[in-house]
Amino acid sequence: MSNFWQNFVKIAWRVPPVRLYSSTGYKSAISLENLYPGSSLKLTTPKPPNQEQEKFTGYIPIEELDITYSRSTGPGGQNVNKVNTKVEIKFHVNKATWINEDIKIKLAEKFKNKITKEGFAIFRSDLTRSQQLNLADCLEKIRASVRSCEIEETKPPEETEEKIRRRLERASRERLALKRGRSQVKSDRQAPQ
Amino acid sequence: MGSNSTEKALSILRYLPRCKKRGRGQHGGDKHGAGNKGSGQRQNYMRLGYETGNNPFYLRFPHEPYYQGHHLRRQYPPLSMLELQTLIDTNRIDPTKPIDLVAILNTGLYKLFPDQKQFGVHLTDEGADVFKTKVNIEVQWANEIVIAAIERAGGVITTAYFDQHSLQAMLNTKKFFERGVPIPRRMMPPPDAIEYYSDPDKRGYLADPEKISQQRLVLAQKFGYLLPKIEEDPEYEMLLERKDPRQIFYGLHPGWVVNLKDKVILKPEEQELQRYYAS
Repeated sequence: MSNFWQNFVKIAWRVPPVRLYSSTGYKSAISLENLYPGSSLKLTTPKPPNQEQEKFTGYIPIEELDITYSRSTGPGGQNVNKVNTKVEIKFHVNKATWINEDIKIKLAEKFKNKITKEGFAIFRSDLTRSQQLNLADCLEKIRASVRSCEIEETKPPEETEEKIRRRLERASRERLALKRGRSQVKSDRQAPQ
Repeated sequence: MGSNSTEKALSILRYLPRCKKRGRGQHGGDKHGAGNKGSGQRQNYMRLGYETGNNPFYLRFPHEPYYQGHHLRRQYPPLSMLELQTLIDTNRIDPTKPIDLVAILNTGLYKLFPDQKQFGVHLTDEGADVFKTKVNIEVQWANEIVIAAIERAGGVITTAYFDQHSLQAMLNTKKFFERGVPIPRRMMPPPDAIEYYSDPDKRGYLADPEKISQQRLVLAQKFGYLLPKIEEDPEYEMLLERKDPRQIFYGLHPGWVVNLKDKVILKPEEQELQRYYAS
């Protein structure tokens, strides 16, 4: 049993009473330094992406949004009566720094039902039972709206339009011909005038 | 050499009958290869696998995979964020130090049974909206709502894997030290768990911290809160404190023997041992 201790040297090193969690610098072969040699291995707060870009990056500065919570509608007993799960986000479209000018115009036109007279866009959500998830849903709605304004609607070429017009015309013609035929059948059942 | 024999075999095959052809004419005639009476001659064949009434081979051995792979399924008993907040509020857990599984087990209010395939704490999102404490917490499983709640409060969350031996040591640390056994190295997660613990989305302990920083911003944007500037936090050092992937306890290295009676720590001097415990 005493041979076991020969591999160890007794160091009279008292366990420090304070700061038990001091970083003691233990580095194994699979430490993060070895797994990611080029990384700084520190947690930092990254800067938000550049706002001057043409395309909407998906970044929304939360401080510019006016978020209010209220109680949701529908069944749910005590929970729905008490918990503020409904989320309403308001922001002024023209004053928004995170949307491009041309997209603002399109947004104002496409989502005019969501924009008040003063110019505030209102997005609401009471999809889930959780306030956090509803907030996430609201933000997703805003992002989806902005992205839908970015997509340029492509008009179908003239040939396709002509084809569609001819198709509809033919369908109408056939329908009317059938109708006339049925009408003739009905009138043939009557006595000739 | 091989090609010669294969060529020969192929040339022989050309003259062998490829399938049982229907007998027609002279010596293929009479019963035309259909035998006597029975389903064969009457072209009313038995289904494939049928053994004329006895229990067929394909039905003899039932497949009831109820416990298939049960020994590989890991369990993570839940701990809600509400419970965690209560533990902090009642001074059972100190939020000014990093919180890990040992701290949670030492409260005595959370039980873990590693021999029942339980591998650690699953922090659930019940009470996530009322969680307001800034903590540096290390759990074994957490979803994005929990991660968002902790980061919104200014804290740091890491998901880490502990193997069975490490868990047994962490369960009753005093008892483990009294055994006089050197602290073991923590093993790597099994293949189906490595992806989870290397994912910056899940704040895995094997993920790149730079990518985790990026994901913090992504999550803050997703859930609509302002990401607190962690570098300007006075407790930045404490929040950044992390265990090495091979480390079980904060402040203690694998290979050390902790002697609680004499209040000393014995460290290996032998080169071989030092190399092993640092691998």
